[in-house]
Amino acid sequence: MAKKITIDPVTRIEGHLKIEIEVEGDKVKNAWSSGTMARGFEALLQGKDPRDAPFVTSRFCGVCYSVHQLASARALDAAFGAKVPWGGNLIRNLVMGAQYIYDHPLHFYQLSALDYIDIMAIANYNGKDKDLLAVKNKVVNLVKSKDTYPLTPRYKPDGFCVKDPEVVITAFKHYIDAMKMHAHARNMGAIWGGHTPHYQNIVVGGVTSYPDINQVARFRTMLDEQAKFINEVYIPDVLAFGTGPLWELAKMGLGGGHYNYLSYGALEKDPEGKSLVFPPGVIMGLNPANIKVEPFDPQKITESVKYAWYKENKPVHPYQGEQVFDLDKKEAYTFVKAPRYNGKPMEVGPLARMLVAKNPSVLGLVGKGAKPGAVARHAARAIETKLVVDACYQWCDMLLSEMTKPGFKIHDKEHWDPPERGMGAGFYEAPRGALGHWIEVEGKKIKNYQAVVPSTWNASPRDENGVRGQYEESLIGAPVPDPENPINVVRIIRSFDPCLACAIHLIDPKTNEIRKFIIE
Amino acid sequence: MKEEELLSNKLLDVIESCGVSRRDFLKYSAAMAALFGISEFEFATKVVQAMESASKKPPVIWLEGQDCAGCTISFTQILNPPASSIILDKISLRYHETVMAGAGHLAEKVYHDTVKEGGYVLIVEGSVPSADDRFCMVGGRPFKTILEEAAQKAGAIIAVGACATYGGIPAATPSKGIGLNKALPGKTVINLPTCPVHPDHLAGTVLYFLTTGKVPPLDNVGRPLIYYAESIHDNCRRRAHFDENHFLEDWNDPGQKEWCMLHKGCKGTMTNSDCPIRRWNDGISFCIDCGAPCMGCAQPEFYQEMSPLYTAESIISKRILAMKEAGSFKRENS
Repeated sequence: MAKKITIDPVTRIEGHLKIEIEVEGDKVKNAWSSGTMARGFEALLQGKDPRDAPFVTSRFCGVCYSVHQLASARALDAAFGAKVPWGGNLIRNLVMGAQYIYDHPLHFYQLSALDYIDIMAIANYNGKDKDLLAVKNKVVNLVKSKDTYPLTPRYKPDGFCVKDPEVVITAFKHYIDAMKMHAHARNMGAIWGGHTPHYQNIVVGGVTSYPDINQVARFRTMLDEQAKFINEVYIPDVLAFGTGPLWELAKMGLGGGHYNYLSYGALEKDPEGKSLVFPPGVIMGLNPANIKVEPFDPQKITESVKYAWYKENKPVHPYQGEQVFDLDKKEAYTFVKAPRYNGKPMEVGPLARMLVAKNPSVLGLVGKGAKPGAVARHAARAIETKLVVDACYQWCDMLLSEMTKPGFKIHDKEHWDPPERGMGAGFYEAPRGALGHWIEVEGKKIKNYQAVVPSTWNASPRDENGVRGQYEESLIGAPVPDPENPINVVRIIRSFDPCLACAIHLIDPKTNEIRKFIIE
Repeated sequence: MKEEELLSNKLLDVIESCGVSRRDFLKYSAAMAALFGISEFEFATKVVQAMESASKKPPVIWLEGQDCAGCTISFTQILNPPASSIILDKISLRYHETVMAGAGHLAEKVYHDTVKEGGYVLIVEGSVPSADDRFCMVGGRPFKTILEEAAQKAGAIIAVGACATYGGIPAATPSKGIGLNKALPGKTVINLPTCPVHPDHLAGTVLYFLTTGKVPPLDNVGRPLIYYAESIHDNCRRRAHFDENHFLEDWNDPGQKEWCMLHKGCKGTMTNSDCPIRRWNDGISFCIDCGAPCMGCAQPEFYQEMSPLYTAESIISKRILAMKEAGSFKRENS
């Protein structure tokens, strides 16, 4: 008899997410992913001045703010016919780079690490390192005062949790250090973005922040500090955990899913966009021994609303997408739509990008026996952070040389006013994966606006063929020996870095009763 | 004086034992004391007294409704004292979905236990859907129900960000988000708007409450006067260009770089916050310094009456233009 477990809320993610699983013989047999909050931004935008869109859509998410602004601005650039000057694009890339540099380490330390270490092992540290003893002191004091929130309560550490006091205390010190580091990284973005979260300088046609040399120098100096942390702390931590204590989980391929991967490609390294930090591409049914990457075709994207709380519609391209809520729809269980590529569910994010790019470090881990899954996602995330750091150095140099050219520009002034009519798509790679915004302009106002965000791909429900979304599929077969402690479930879900701010869940579709959060 | 120095050193020892460097604390208390209108020494003494007399850390519940977690991220932007030290050493953060280790029923149990205990600081991020409760559900229950329940026994209620204070952007969506001013009628709520909340505004307000046990003096829309008494325009360094009618039209022109952005939709004349003085991200910048107009996110009228954002055609911008025409913004001495 299958046992049903509901985890609601799933914490240490962005947004409101509920996961339901059926467990049979200590393994997940079936799974449902439900977004439980909606605001309805796309409907809000209808009838508005299109130039509001980057500012408003930034507020989709306060963690990955810059990505929506940029995808939205790119959709507007296309619809307005604006050509962003290279100087403006370099500043867009630099503030986006700062986003990656803060976002990925934050995900590893603040949002994920507590699933992989037994934090109370810190009390057994017997070393002499002054810094680590200070950390020990801090934790021992918390325990003594019987107030260890928010580090407890927690799921009971299982056999995969690292218990070596030296390793755990070092990891927790890095948890504390990372908080300072990602605040510093956000400050880098604020040099041109005004403040974080939510940059203010991204507009259709370019940016509003005319740079000076001191700002570039400041960004570079701050980048040095980040590069040191990423190269000497973050990447070694992830690789040491992944190939050490978590190697069994890596080999098991915990949280694999459908093995379909999608990257839209992003971050130009030259004015023509011939070379990108992240190349576009599609992998269907990954064969690690022979990775076949197909070209990405935007026309193959559709969205199904069969199991989502929207008015019934056939799967359509986002340009034709609607956002009409139907909270009473019987078979629906989420407000996340089900995007599909060529009819198939896809994984987006760092692992997808690194596989599409055939990144040698990631392929090296796969070659050694790591199956694509939760652990590989953490590794891919760390490895690509370095690629972004390296690109930021190049962009700083390019910006400095661009600034000295006569007629240096950051904005396409000629295309500032909205056109009578226009359509445009903005594709981007957010830290969490492939992101697309679609806009249609009519009478200088927004006629239709749709966004398919990375977590829409990953957290999607079943489609009209009953095929599960990527979160759901990746949970199938995951070991859950103790139903009171479904730690593998949250490990898998968090490995995707969920960002649910534009999704929902409401009430039990069958009984129409509010479901309990406790284990049933 | 000597006695004061000795005591001062003792205070700093206590502070240091909490993981905050002396330098950082002095920097922070100088800034805070100025705001509280008391001497730096007096301020430091009060903080340490509050910290020593409290036998346990003050419990905090942080609820997220129709939010984007941006205020949470903004809060973690505090460097002095570091956010990690606030979370681990200064407060007992019982419930915060984005931060806490526990999930599901473990998280819900802590929440219920803390509510039963009462006396906690309740911080709320995100709006409450008024069109239908089902637009925001947490742990299987409407967010609205959870908020009303948590508000009952809270020692203080702080709404952070534009959404939780007055509805913000979600107010304009089909879910019709409302702020705590409407969701908790009759309750005293400290409103800290702006999108996102400024980390200093939040840290200072919490500290004020924990030190004095009182709600700071508020303006007529519930904002602490120490942060929101003056308009952006009052302290804008581009103000001279506003008076001289130098309006930025081209972001590419270094000659216009410091000009007034009224024609790009700046709402700074009708928006109250100390952004131009305090600035953001450890003083690095703020909206106007990155060439972007003030969008009025500290005001109850945000976002509906501020849109269209980038022209002078919004309800608020039209009002500003009319007032300028009538000479309302003329400086007294000019």
